[in-house]
Amino acid sequence: MTDDRELDARLAERIRGGQAQALGELYDRYAGTALAVALRVVADRSEAEDVVHDAFVAVWKKIDRFDAGRGSLRAWLLTVVRNRAIDRVRVRRTTVDVDDADERSLLRTGPNPTWEDALQRTSAADVRVAVAALPDEQRRALELAYFEGYTYREVAEVTGVAAGTAAGRLRLGLGKLRDSLAGSAGAPLPAVEATTLSEDVGR
Amino acid sequence: MSRMSCEQIDELAGAYALGAVDADEDRSVSEHLASCDQPHAEVRDLIGAGTALTAGVLDVDPSPGLRDRLMATVAETPQEHQPQAVAAATPVAPDTEPRRPRWRMQPVAMGIAAVILLLVIGLGAWGLNLNAQLAERDAALRAVASADAAFAVEGTAGSGWVIESGDVAHFVAEGLAEPPEGQIYELWLMDADGNPTAVGTIEDPDDLVVVALEQDLGNATTFAVTAEPQRVDAPTSDPVLVASLEG
Repeated sequence: MTDDRELDARLAERIRGGQAQALGELYDRYAGTALAVALRVVADRSEAEDVVHDAFVAVWKKIDRFDAGRGSLRAWLLTVVRNRAIDRVRVRRTTVDVDDADERSLLRTGPNPTWEDALQRTSAADVRVAVAALPDEQRRALELAYFEGYTYREVAEVTGVAAGTAAGRLRLGLGKLRDSLAGSAGAPLPAVEATTLSEDVGR
Repeated sequence: MSRMSCEQIDELAGAYALGAVDADEDRSVSEHLASCDQPHAEVRDLIGAGTALTAGVLDVDPSPGLRDRLMATVAETPQEHQPQAVAAATPVAPDTEPRRPRWRMQPVAMGIAAVILLLVIGLGAWGLNLNAQLAERDAALRAVASADAAFAVEGTAGSGWVIESGDVAHFVAEGLAEPPEGQIYELWLMDADGNPTAVGTIEDPDDLVVVALEQDLGNATTFAVTAEPQRVDAPTSDPVLVASLEG
């Protein structure tokens, strides 16, 4: 466990114990990143700050569901931020139960040494370079999915491709990003062409 | 959704890792991963990818007041797992102010005469189906007639009154919202430290609700109602109705 994760785990424990001060410390560590993520989605500063406020309150309320042994507090917090930000802009689509989304996100916040180890060795600038180096259609799919909250089916609609193709672009894009950040350490993905995806996916 | 094949799971690796699948698919993939004897290494490897995408975002300084706003909200917000008072667990400098219950809302001081007036007005509105509610009406009237104190109850589920008559207390309300599907309302008294005591349930609220609380108000400072799947020993959700019993 990295130092950051150990510190986060201790913060989580104190928050679980009802120490509001610990939530304040978590805010001091991650509010800047949380606001950046929220702004990336909602594009309005006042609204983004509301999102950040609500996300930290949600972490306070739901901290007992977080298991530091199974996930990263930072990753979960930022996912909660993203869920709330997306909920605000999701006017054109079916409303999503944001609490349900938080719950499901717990399964998706690691810890995953693949990403954590890579990110320990790289800077934010390296990450931006790696994202920028992705093929346009893969980068666009990742941005739509992660920062604009589109499902892969919606990515498919927006970009005018089959759902299986959109799912494939997300898979390939993340694989390339992982390999790029990990240097030669990452295991290469199997050579899957988006067009060979199962017909069942995306229906 | 029918069970997904291993191939389908792998094809959704990227979408699942980013949360870019709908809720049903999300559950299907999670359940598959939890039970499948195949390693699904690629899916597991991509989980957490959002960490990388957010790592490339440049931090933005929040407004100076946001932290204070957050901390003020947190001070009034119960945690799901311990709805007792935050203050009890938070090391803070001792102060001379009485500790506030966390579910406290705006206290409403209400004269008994005004309570009776409101209930009489309410009973007038119930007149059309009064025959079906005679017992409740009588209980409500008895509670009001002998009331020593009344406390306004308010919240998202509606409004009502806690009426104290000697060592008996009633919760009286009209037009409460139905609890969520499959849930009941549970009534609570909380002391100044936020310790809850269950004092009754309402399974299917009629238009007029009169419930005798299972114990007197004692030293309780807050009355609250939560929606629960069944009667429980401590609230598991935020209250839908609250009354301050102070003042």
